[in-house]
Amino acid sequence: MGARPTGAEWLALAALAALLLLPLAVGAYPIRVATVIFMWAALAGAWNLMAGYAGSVDLGPVVHYGVGAFATAALMLKAGLPFLPSAALAGVVAMAIAYALGTPTLRLRGAYFAIGTLALAESAKQLALAWDRLVPWFPLTGGSAGVSLPLAAGYGVFYYVMLALMAGVTGGALWLRRSKFGYGLRAVGENDRLAEASGVDIHGLRRRLYVASAFVIAVTGGTAGYWLSYINATESFSASITFQMVVMALLGGLGTPFGPVLGAAFLTLVSEVLGTRLVYYYLIVIGVIIVAVSLFAPAGLAGLFRLGPRRVQGAT
Amino acid sequence: MSLLDVRGVTKRFGSLVALNDVEFSVVEHEVLAIIGPNGAGKSTLFNVIAGLEPPTDGDVVFRGRPITGLPPHAVCRLGIAKTFQIPQLFPRLSVAENVLVAALYGHGASLADARRQSQEWLAFVGLAGKASVSAETLSVAERRRADLARVLATGAPVILLDENMAGLNQTEVETAVALLRRVRERGRTLVVTEHIMRAILGLADRVVVLNYGEKIAEGRPADVMRDAAVVKAYLGEAHG
Repeated sequence: MGARPTGAEWLALAALAALLLLPLAVGAYPIRVATVIFMWAALAGAWNLMAGYAGSVDLGPVVHYGVGAFATAALMLKAGLPFLPSAALAGVVAMAIAYALGTPTLRLRGAYFAIGTLALAESAKQLALAWDRLVPWFPLTGGSAGVSLPLAAGYGVFYYVMLALMAGVTGGALWLRRSKFGYGLRAVGENDRLAEASGVDIHGLRRRLYVASAFVIAVTGGTAGYWLSYINATESFSASITFQMVVMALLGGLGTPFGPVLGAAFLTLVSEVLGTRLVYYYLIVIGVIIVAVSLFAPAGLAGLFRLGPRRVQGAT
Repeated sequence: MSLLDVRGVTKRFGSLVALNDVEFSVVEHEVLAIIGPNGAGKSTLFNVIAGLEPPTDGDVVFRGRPITGLPPHAVCRLGIAKTFQIPQLFPRLSVAENVLVAALYGHGASLADARRQSQEWLAFVGLAGKASVSAETLSVAERRRADLARVLATGAPVILLDENMAGLNQTEVETAVALLRRVRERGRTLVVTEHIMRAILGLADRVVVLNYGEKIAEGRPADVMRDAAVVKAYLGEAHG
């Protein structure tokens, strides 16, 4: 099936090997920055699967992030489970919720899906804020006060979990480019009516992807919550998380496997550097950079570096 | 025995009756042409058969089993595939990938089989040389052939062709008619809508005539063309 790895894929594998060993070589600060990059790369990558491959612009992915954060906290605090099983189970909870939410919303087309999911995310935030009042016998979110999690011993676990999430999403995106599922999704993204008439179960396919991306986003949310050891509904369901995912995916290159990684690394590093040098103006500078990239490199950073061009010539 | 039966199909869009109690059967291996003036309801009829629009009333029966209300992908997998009046493509996939998707999902081929089949169908319609170009670069005539390759690749025994020759010049029409004859020789059953009478006379075994959503005639092409009601529908009162 022509599965010979491309140059970019070899490069990515080499980078992954280097990143696995990185904590042996550098101190705490670079590891923290790298973990932040992996986290955003996983989130933006999961969003990119829906938007870049299936053509569904989801403006409510933060729902899964918040669900993951609070489900992980509940499993750790109430059930007394260790972190990793808690995060994994939280991912499964988010998949079930995504299945239920996706079944009606994924039937909405184009802008309606975007608006619908945006509204859904805001509703989820309000529900999370009100949860403990509405369901006093099973408090979960701590209302506006939030929930404190136990402090973790060391940061290694966060580094490796976020790295695994980023690698998983990127590997998934690469797999989509040469699998039956991926061809179906790209067909749906290009022309859903024609895909449907060609035998593609468009709603089923979109929902499978939506549920899979919900798992990644939820585990990322759970890991981020434990890392910060404090979560609250306003921040864990904040639309700014969604928009950062969107901006990073677009900046890096929509519909490309490595675009979200590039977008996440670029924006995180620029924020780190500018945030210390231009404390008051760095957001303005970042805004200018985003506008410049979208004007002069509409295919994103991946398009500039020609990493995984979206138009595959002679792929079969 | 009939392969496909359209039974009393009515389709209303608000107060507009696009199809009124339309009834006909399609026999295996035949070429049935649906003709009629613009707005007669031909495309609506195809959309109803393919599951793209639910009928207001009536049933579509395939191999004795009602398929009314099934989603389009299920109708396609059961064995009815249609082309679109304005040829549709997955613009940023290659031509071969366009056909590949239909082979993968139309009858559940494996990736390796689907690749081989898509090359075969592209060769069949004469587009082998365009396999790896982006589909959006094709000309109108090439798009129609790519669309044909796509429906053939689904493996569906019944092919609905919605004005597959519109916009083609005389030579291209002759090539297209010859191509469709070869499709039929491969054992497919064809239902076509067409305005080009020469193409219909050269291809169809039977003709169903629609006018304002109603079936006004049915029969052998030469007989139907002489039918007074048909002439009136096409040319108006004075010629009737």
